[in-house]
Amino acid sequence: MINPYLLFGLLVVGAVGVVMALPRRGTNPQVLGAAVAGLAGGLLMLFLGLKAGPDKIPNLFFYVFAAVGLGGALRVITHPRPVYAALYFIMTVLASAGLFLLLSAEFMAFALIIVYAGAILITYLFVIMLATQAPEEGQEDVLADYDTRANEPVAATVIGFVLLAALTVMLFRGTSALPAPAKANPDLLLADMPRKVDRLLETNGVMGPKDVIDRTDWNAGVVEFTTAAGAKMVLERSVGKGGTLSEVAADGTRKVVRENAWPEDLRVTNAELLGFNLLRDHPGTIEIAGVILLMAMLGAVVLSRKQVQIDEDAKKARVTQLAQADPSFDPGSESPIELVQQPASSLEEAAR
Amino acid sequence: MNMTTLTTGFVPTLAQAGFPEVMSQVTLGHYLVVAAIMFVLGMIGFLTRRNLIIMFLCTELMFQAAGIALIAFGRYHLDFSGQTFVIFVLTVAAAEAAMALALIVLLYRRKESLNAEEWKDLQG
Repeated sequence: MINPYLLFGLLVVGAVGVVMALPRRGTNPQVLGAAVAGLAGGLLMLFLGLKAGPDKIPNLFFYVFAAVGLGGALRVITHPRPVYAALYFIMTVLASAGLFLLLSAEFMAFALIIVYAGAILITYLFVIMLATQAPEEGQEDVLADYDTRANEPVAATVIGFVLLAALTVMLFRGTSALPAPAKANPDLLLADMPRKVDRLLETNGVMGPKDVIDRTDWNAGVVEFTTAAGAKMVLERSVGKGGTLSEVAADGTRKVVRENAWPEDLRVTNAELLGFNLLRDHPGTIEIAGVILLMAMLGAVVLSRKQVQIDEDAKKARVTQLAQADPSFDPGSESPIELVQQPASSLEEAAR
Repeated sequence: MNMTTLTTGFVPTLAQAGFPEVMSQVTLGHYLVVAAIMFVLGMIGFLTRRNLIIMFLCTELMFQAAGIALIAFGRYHLDFSGQTFVIFVLTVAAAEAAMALALIVLLYRRKESLNAEEWKDLQG
């Protein structure tokens, strides 16, 4: 698929680019580094697709989404400001959703946008806002020291790209050795959705409301049904487009009643396939996912709870203690205002 | 290679009339390379950056890469377990984000800093 020396050479160039793009003090060749890394990635993709025929490589949109996604990913790890890193990550998420669409995973693509870009990343942005100090009045916005300097960039990049080299060995050893995929027909799932079939055939005027389906063959695309008047009908999907609805006489001869009768929606959608797979094949994992989410919710509540009550109690106890030890102690200097007017005895009661 | 061959695959519904198109091994390789590069970028970011928030963003990046690889393999084998697993990856990512961000807020309140190295002397 690709020459190993070429592949590993490009990986070395990419690693150099990533090292240069990581933030550092002093002269910072970030743009140059990103350009080098991008060039290496682009050449890698070019050489990958060069030997394969045009019918085998992914379509144009793959390259667009891959470039946007990987560029965003590079910027996430190189941008010194966390807010921008999070925004670039949203770009990566959107590009991944595009890749999911190309892989005909429509449901997951939009779930990804809603859950990741819509929920998780907004939480990240909130935390970034909460956990960043605003610059003081008249002071310039300075980056924190730990944001401007990467920690051991060379070592980490070398380790990362050694891993990448090991992973990409699959290109000339692994993927070509994969078994050819079985010819699966997702439409077989229609056998489990008789109501959908009934509804679609009725709304498209193929079947009357009193007609009864006798036999279906989703592999060949045949639906046989008996009308309320007793006539035997056959709906057959043709190879190209549409399908024919014909009436079968008692002697077996067929008379075409209607061309283009196969409803366009009479197929299984991605969400239906995913739903059947999720609920029929992996019911236990849903329970586990529910438990994980519940635990995470409890943990987040417990962790981030502001421990105000405990602090107030400790403060009251401390005031009481000081007042007992030294009768001339004025609690006003160390305690909230309402404690000032109260005598020490009532503070003791409150502490109990 | 004209524009139509490049763009015909744009709306490749699996369940289109008749059998779905078989994905070639070359195409699968392209998606896996993108996933591998994204994973490694996330890993490098996790190792080099010292801001706690960016470190956790990098773990999300690695989750993304795993999701792309899962869905590409699922498409290749026409098996929907790949997409189902991405749902669970999303679940774990959401749980992880909630816990990690709560921890970050807690740590930030103590030291007023997001530097991971501030916490190298934690005592159990």
